[in-house]
Amino acid sequence: MNTTAQIPQWTGVAASLLLVVLAAALVVYQRLGVARDLLWAAARAFVQLLAVGALLTILFAHAGLWGSALWVIGMVVLSGFVAAGRAKGLPRARVAAWIAVGLGTAATLGLLLLLRVIKAEPIVVVPVGGMVVSAAMSATALTMRAIARTATEQRAAIEARLSLGMSGVDAFSPYLREGVRTALIPAIDTTKVVGLIALPGAMTGLILAGVSPFDAIRYQIVVMYMLLAAAALSSVVVARLTTSALFDSADRLVRFTHQS
Amino acid sequence: MSEAFSFDAVVFERDGRRILDGLSDHIHAGVVTAIIGDSGAGKSTLLRLLNRLEEPTQGFISFHDDRIDSIDVHQLRRKVSLVGQRPVMLAQTVLGELRIADPEVTPDRAHELLARVALGEFELERKTLTLSGGEQQRLALARALTVEPEVLLLDEPTSSLDDSSATAVDQVIRDLAASGLTVVLVSHDLDRVQGVADFVLVLDHGRLVERGSPGQVRYLS
Repeated sequence: MNTTAQIPQWTGVAASLLLVVLAAALVVYQRLGVARDLLWAAARAFVQLLAVGALLTILFAHAGLWGSALWVIGMVVLSGFVAAGRAKGLPRARVAAWIAVGLGTAATLGLLLLLRVIKAEPIVVVPVGGMVVSAAMSATALTMRAIARTATEQRAAIEARLSLGMSGVDAFSPYLREGVRTALIPAIDTTKVVGLIALPGAMTGLILAGVSPFDAIRYQIVVMYMLLAAAALSSVVVARLTTSALFDSADRLVRFTHQS
Repeated sequence: MSEAFSFDAVVFERDGRRILDGLSDHIHAGVVTAIIGDSGAGKSTLLRLLNRLEEPTQGFISFHDDRIDSIDVHQLRRKVSLVGQRPVMLAQTVLGELRIADPEVTPDRAHELLARVALGEFELERKTLTLSGGEQQRLALARALTVEPEVLLLDEPTSSLDDSSATAVDQVIRDLAASGLTVVLVSHDLDRVQGVADFVLVLDHGRLVERGSPGQVRYLS
């Protein structure tokens, strides 16, 4: 792929920083009280991206495919902490999140690699893996949060079903469906309006790199389907795992305090 | 008179607090037993222990001489059904409500169940959200009857109802007991207990302090 995009020099980066300084000045002038947050976010993004850039350079040059796979596994582990943090108090949340994000990532990324839709090279596996893990993590977190909230708010209704002799899984099934549906709305909506409201990241990147728009959309379609599948798979898996953890061996709804 | 439940040194603790403290007694079958006592005495907890929505910390409970933890929990809950303090509607229509536990309930069977709770005139497609609190409570009773329980556990069944609705629910409870059901109810309304219960158990700070007929129990006077 020949890159025809004009990549900004560091002077260009410094010039773009001027925009942030201008925005901060405007915020101070208006006394909106968010100037410190704005500057902190800009500084943090700079340092983070610098670190990631350096790390990816080393990774692409030296780590090979197994190193890339380890990198993706690391992202899955980290995303489990983040997703479980969205459903504090939920029993066995972290393990459920790791399994769900791991399965969602492994299934989608693995299939695309197996079918040779994407290349088994670090320069592809790492960024594409990152997108998949991110989509799976987001759906997992939303599903767990919806389930934790429902189990707390609908305790009386769930126990009314249990009192009729239903199993925990059956008693929770109407709420489980709702939880998965709610969690997948962002992924479905994003897929529905792709290209209409904003050009998606992968496609924009390819076009900037000089790829023809018609070639770029093929890549984007693969990415969108991959993200949708990862989100759906992770959501369904975490919903099942979390539901099982909500009930003890005698199908009693366990007590926990949900903190979102 | 046979025993439906017996308790043997039942202790229940939560978060380090002892809610039931060494309860040993029994509940007769085929009659209405009221569990009364001050707030925090452990009444609702005792009711929830009977169908294993809670588990004793120590001691054990038997149902017809079998320890309840040796009975399949789903079978137990179909035999010992609990209706909560505030009626919770689980479906949009009356018929839907009666099909929650048994999707095979026919319209004829539904009318039969509704008649047992004095709602025989109800249209099956009526929306549950349009029902009054008393009607919802009776529909919750009818829903519990779909699994043909031997025992109905009622947690403050009339506490959220106005007087006329509460009287209607009391009458339904008496009719159900007359048909052979064992009813165990928790109540703080001593006047209603005298009208509806055959036996009374009085709890105080997790201990059983009195038992007998409503006329014998000093707590009621």
